[in-house]
Amino acid sequence: MSTSVPISNEKPVAAVNTDDPVGRHPLVLGGLGFKSITDRVAGISLGKTPKTWPFALALAVSLLMVLGGSLGWLVSQGVGVWGMNSTIGWAWDITGFVFWIGIGHAGTLISAILYLFRQKWRTSINRAAEAMTIFAVLAALIYPAFHVGRVWFAYWMLPIPNQMGMWPQMKSPLLWDVFAVSTYATVSALFWFVGLVPDFATLRDRADTKTKQIVYGILSLGWRGSHRAWLHYERAYQIFAGLSTPLVLSVHTIVSFDFAVSILPGWHTTIFPPYFVAGAIFSGFAMVVTLMVVARTALGLKHLITMRHLENMNKIILATGTMVGYAYGIEFFMAWYSGNPYESFALMNRVFGPYAWAYWTMVSCNVLFPQLFWFKKIRTSIPAMFAISIVVNVGMWFERFVIIVTSLHRDYIPSSWSYYRPSLVDMSTFVGTFGLFLTLFLLFCRFVPVIAIGEVKGVLPAADPHNPHDAHDAHGEKAGVEHHG
Amino acid sequence: MATSHEVSTKPDAIKLDAESAKKLQGIAIGVAVVGVILAAAGYVTDPHRLAFSYLTGFLWITTIALGGLFFVIIQHLTKAGWSVAPRRHMEWLSGALPACALLFLPIVLFSHDIYHHWMSAEAAHDEILQKKAGYLNPTFFYVRAAIYFGIWIFLASYFAGRSREQDKSGDRKLTEKMQNLAPPATLLFGLSITFAGFDWLMSLDPHWYSTIFGVYVFAGAAVSSLSMLALINIGLQRAGLLHKISNVEHRHDIGKLLFGFIVFWAYIGFSQFILIWYANIPEETLFYRHRWEGNWKVVSMVLLFGHFVIPFLVLLSRHAKRHYTVLGGAAVWMLVMHYLDLYWLVMPTLDHHGAHFSWIDLGGLLAPVGVAAVLIARLAASGHLYPIKDPRLPEAAAVQNI
Repeated sequence: MSTSVPISNEKPVAAVNTDDPVGRHPLVLGGLGFKSITDRVAGISLGKTPKTWPFALALAVSLLMVLGGSLGWLVSQGVGVWGMNSTIGWAWDITGFVFWIGIGHAGTLISAILYLFRQKWRTSINRAAEAMTIFAVLAALIYPAFHVGRVWFAYWMLPIPNQMGMWPQMKSPLLWDVFAVSTYATVSALFWFVGLVPDFATLRDRADTKTKQIVYGILSLGWRGSHRAWLHYERAYQIFAGLSTPLVLSVHTIVSFDFAVSILPGWHTTIFPPYFVAGAIFSGFAMVVTLMVVARTALGLKHLITMRHLENMNKIILATGTMVGYAYGIEFFMAWYSGNPYESFALMNRVFGPYAWAYWTMVSCNVLFPQLFWFKKIRTSIPAMFAISIVVNVGMWFERFVIIVTSLHRDYIPSSWSYYRPSLVDMSTFVGTFGLFLTLFLLFCRFVPVIAIGEVKGVLPAADPHNPHDAHDAHGEKAGVEHHG
Repeated sequence: MATSHEVSTKPDAIKLDAESAKKLQGIAIGVAVVGVILAAAGYVTDPHRLAFSYLTGFLWITTIALGGLFFVIIQHLTKAGWSVAPRRHMEWLSGALPACALLFLPIVLFSHDIYHHWMSAEAAHDEILQKKAGYLNPTFFYVRAAIYFGIWIFLASYFAGRSREQDKSGDRKLTEKMQNLAPPATLLFGLSITFAGFDWLMSLDPHWYSTIFGVYVFAGAAVSSLSMLALINIGLQRAGLLHKISNVEHRHDIGKLLFGFIVFWAYIGFSQFILIWYANIPEETLFYRHRWEGNWKVVSMVLLFGHFVIPFLVLLSRHAKRHYTVLGGAAVWMLVMHYLDLYWLVMPTLDHHGAHFSWIDLGGLLAPVGVAAVLIARLAASGHLYPIKDPRLPEAAAVQNI
């Protein structure tokens, strides 16, 4: 400590250019140190409610009420209020399910896979992305739960011994979905909560009211921040990351099996598993970008969720979007190469048939627009990335719609061909799931530390034992110095 | 500061000493000579068999070289800091691609034999093959091969060339140049290896098709090249040549990647299998049907356990990935398994009712491997053992797996 250099609270940005191969761009800007990071993040949960928050919550809750109304109507009237019917037995319901499940995947990629790769830039976005995962999975679960019609029997999806000797079909990927998604939801929630324990303890220690102290106290499970506790914590975190990685891949793989194990042209193709996983990560990152662009401004976190974080995510969107494009291309090529008339009909019908408008929406949103991210100017422009991230989400919804509906609407018997149109309840249910998602996310932003405080501190230069210059204690920063973003 | 690095104060060796360089090249030439003689004897004995054996051997070394190219591209794409030294070793492997282009010439000569299903006159009477004749015809097949090799040789020599240039000048701009080419290179690489897989392997049975097949070929390339990389690093470390820029931490990282890609290979292989098995459409199941006849069943099971279950369990542990013998043993094992995987893809076209391993297969393997090894050995012997002026050397040396 004797050799410590006087600490400067100036922005350290100017010296380092992102593209310089020597050194790395700092992950925390604005001269934030150990104390000011805690102040900033804990301040969001413990401080005054921001003025816009109640309005946003009111909007989200009203959408949530739309969901409640739609589902109530469905339960009272039956599943027929949704627009699908033979031969299109699956439509917006499964589309919505796959859409939301897919979005969840980015959270696990950031929290688990990027952790295994020791990608330090994940630290300031992992908490919110994991929260997004859990909320997206909840939104997804609405669909299978209510599609059973008599929702009070939804537990029949689980293999529970019963006096009727009735069992779910163990050979069906739909049942594997039940196992995969419920395991995924459980492990993701645990992973998220374990990561939160030290941060809840920080909130407990800084709480200014008895209620907050008690609530955060219970949530922090008696965390005292001892060396031993941190050791256990790190070990648990590693194990969760190791478990979550195969889990997240298995979830969308099994979702792809829902379609691909069939013999339906357009559904049955071997590239589906990795293609669905890439698509899921693609859509999930788009959602993270959408949320983070808003959150970093609204919550004043621009120094923690920096342009570099956003740019990295945009690069992943470009990479996974291109993988999705690869899969579209290979599917197309193989439909022709197979020489199988049913395969080529299904594909041609998708591209030029009655749903061509949906197909081309999908291709433009998923393959063409993300290509704009080849340009640094666009990947570092907030309005551009915000727009493209929304476009990608639209595109990925359409992808599922295209796969599901266009493959079903014209089967082997032309007399049973039909054209699916969503009912009002289809639409209100889908809009309503956004209400559920946004309500939960807004509550999360207000009451839970949106950034993993402890982890972000670990990527400060001061925490790096190899760092020759800043090997001083960042506690040395002047208390109370604040930098507003 | 306590670290787990092997402690040594000597600097890393920059080049192989003359004696080892000579020995390495001598071994490569020896393998090439033995291989070519065996292959020639095989050709005299059974040219039909040699054609298929040669294709298997050619694909073994070509996929390893391609895996090397992929690694180099991805390190630049992700601006990786840990892998400075391993990148050079993968540049050597990708440097074999010009030799692979040369080694493709016998395939051209054998092609009417190997791909007789769609190249011979019988294709004219096949309704399905008529439909795909626009793609599966000899001329376009050769043109495509020329395009693939053009892409690969260009990319391999661009990255290796800039990297060697940096050894002299230390110019950081070269790193930026390589990073700039990496994204389009990834695209070109992905498409070319996919279609090369379709052309050289999938079209052995021209009726059969699988959209994931290109990814499967890629997975094998990644596993085998990382195995080779592990062996190179272990060799250089054990010889005491590298211990700062490539040490136990880098070995561990290579082990992790190898482990990851072993799982990836299994994932892709399983995805292909279960979807075809489940849907049970005869024109698709045929592929597995052929590989379940006679003792091909045994080979299939050996692949399941040998290419996935056993190495998965072995490499799961941190200690195994850091241990010379365990990682080295696993790497050798995976290289054998990669050969068996290709054998399993190619040879059922020839040996319909069961695998018949023959000495000719050895000739088919050693001839292309030996020729490519001569080039790889020359690169290793003449150049630097790691990019000596890479701007990320300090970062790479400081890597720690905690």
